[in-house]
Amino acid sequence: MSDSKPEKHRNWEEGGPERLYVLTSGRSAPSEAAPLDMVTLIVTRHRPTSSMQPEQAAILRICDYPLSIAEISAYVHLPVSVVTVLLADLLESGHAEARAPIPTASLPDVELLEAVMHGLQNL
Amino acid sequence: MAPMNAMYIALSIPFSALRMPMVRAGSPPGSSGPASAPIWLLPSVLLAVCTAVAVALTPSMARAPVVTIGVLATVVVAVAGGEAARRGRVLDELRKQYAKRESVLLGHLAQQEAETVRMAKETLPTAMAQLQQGSRAEDVLRNVVHVSRVSPEFEAAYRAVLRYVLEAVEAEEDLRDSAQRAFVNIARRVQAIVHQQSQELREMEDKHGHDPEVFGDLLRLDHRTALVGRLADSIAVLGGARPGRQWQQTIPLFNVLRGAMSRIIDYQRVDLHSVAEVGILGRGVEPLIHALSELLDNATRYSPPQTRVHLTATEIQTGVAIEMEDAGIGLTDEARLRAERALAQDSPTGLDLDDLGESPRLGLAVVGRLARTNNFKVSFRSSAYGGVRVVLIVPPEMITATPVPGGAMAKAAVLPPPRRPGGPMRRVEGLAEEPVPAVSPRNANGLPQRRRRTRAVIPPLRQKSVASTPTESDTSVSAAPPPQAGLWLAAFQEGISGESRAESPAPRPHGLSDKESERN
Repeated sequence: MSDSKPEKHRNWEEGGPERLYVLTSGRSAPSEAAPLDMVTLIVTRHRPTSSMQPEQAAILRICDYPLSIAEISAYVHLPVSVVTVLLADLLESGHAEARAPIPTASLPDVELLEAVMHGLQNL
Repeated sequence: MAPMNAMYIALSIPFSALRMPMVRAGSPPGSSGPASAPIWLLPSVLLAVCTAVAVALTPSMARAPVVTIGVLATVVVAVAGGEAARRGRVLDELRKQYAKRESVLLGHLAQQEAETVRMAKETLPTAMAQLQQGSRAEDVLRNVVHVSRVSPEFEAAYRAVLRYVLEAVEAEEDLRDSAQRAFVNIARRVQAIVHQQSQELREMEDKHGHDPEVFGDLLRLDHRTALVGRLADSIAVLGGARPGRQWQQTIPLFNVLRGAMSRIIDYQRVDLHSVAEVGILGRGVEPLIHALSELLDNATRYSPPQTRVHLTATEIQTGVAIEMEDAGIGLTDEARLRAERALAQDSPTGLDLDDLGESPRLGLAVVGRLARTNNFKVSFRSSAYGGVRVVLIVPPEMITATPVPGGAMAKAAVLPPPRRPGGPMRRVEGLAEEPVPAVSPRNANGLPQRRRRTRAVIPPLRQKSVASTPTESDTSVSAAPPPQAGLWLAAFQEGISGESRAESPAPRPHGLSDKESERN
């Protein structure tokens, strides 16, 4: 896999016949200010339909567990803006769902840090 | 005595007159001589008879002068008659000669006329055809060599005319060839620049992809560049060259169609519906994209701006049929014929400068040229939407199974397998699925109770990921927590208590090499 991946990647870098503006119908950003940034997590809600753009279908396939927009962009080799536009359509149609980037609860609170410090000093 | 003389003379004249037919017998037949001889004899005979009668009637005294005069007169008349007869003969000869010469001249004239007609109808067209096939004027002149039986002068003049015409045409052809080469040359240079610029734009799009404003500007630039590229491609195709770039690998039809959409102004108005899942062989990709983009350009250009253009592709017995329908005003029969004529217009000499003027003619001429060289079949019908329905049939020899089964996305192949164990994705999953509770259970010291479950699960996965992706090994290993947290804790404790790390190295996780240990 590590051998074939760069090769295929290079083939794509040579340029497919289509240009990026066709993928987004000329949009460089979602029409309304969608709260999407690089670290927003995206998760699939519904399977891709056959009439869907292949890029959108691909995003839905890889997002069956949460991925950040930056990761999606890297996997599908498309610029973040393109992914954002495609995702905005998917979010609008309800095929995907955006989650808050990092659960705030996972960040350790001051009380906890203090408890750790005391514990270390007591050792 | 005198009457006897007169009688003799009178009788002798018919003899002399009778000689004429005998002389004439040697002359060619068909002359009017024998018939006219008696007419010339008649005066002499009459005069001889009159003289004889006068001699008989006149008294003997006057007989001598009468006989003399009569004989003289008869002789004079006979001589005059003979002379007239001779001249008449000469005249006949001359007339025959003239007739012969006239017939010869008429023959020449007819031959010359025939030669001229032949030059116009056969020789020149043949020569032109040979010239257009690339022969030089000298060779053509030798090939269409023409044996004229008229006269050397005529043949020389004939050849001179032919040579003059051929050389003039050749000079004209050369001029056109060089103009065409210049066109193609310029188009090639423009293509090279556009190609380079497209690549750079793609890189810039990747680089500035996170900034919507810059990215939007780049997309617009990219679009305009693609339009310039199509124009350059069109000129190259009309100049008899191949269109733009060569594709090495098979491209899915879906991407080919989107590639065609990329090159028109109103690509947003094109709806791409169901597309047959086939791939187009590399050599057919560029001509197909170019032909389709010209047809799509016509469809969007000649339909109202608020209407959509529908693009579909279905597999049929004889290849793949790509249909596009617009909702414009449609084609009258006459317009359809004109379009098909423009499509079928075959100018083997290449670039027709007239085509470069108008947009539909340029586009259709390009499509026609591409269709001929690539065996595309293009037809115009009226659409159910009221507009035009164009069907382009791609021949089966250009079609192959799609390189990406089920997906028309060229880069779908580089999508990661969705569930690779380990790696950042698993961490993300862990984070999302098992959020750390806001309030962890505390133990007696006030420290949170550590949950062993995650520690037990993660380490084996990490090691697996190291094995499967060597490129990530460094970062994974250096970032990897030890399998047994207790050993690290021991090392930490040693560090706190001031004991040298070198003397009692912390135990390393199993499977790490010395080199990696040094790095840690």
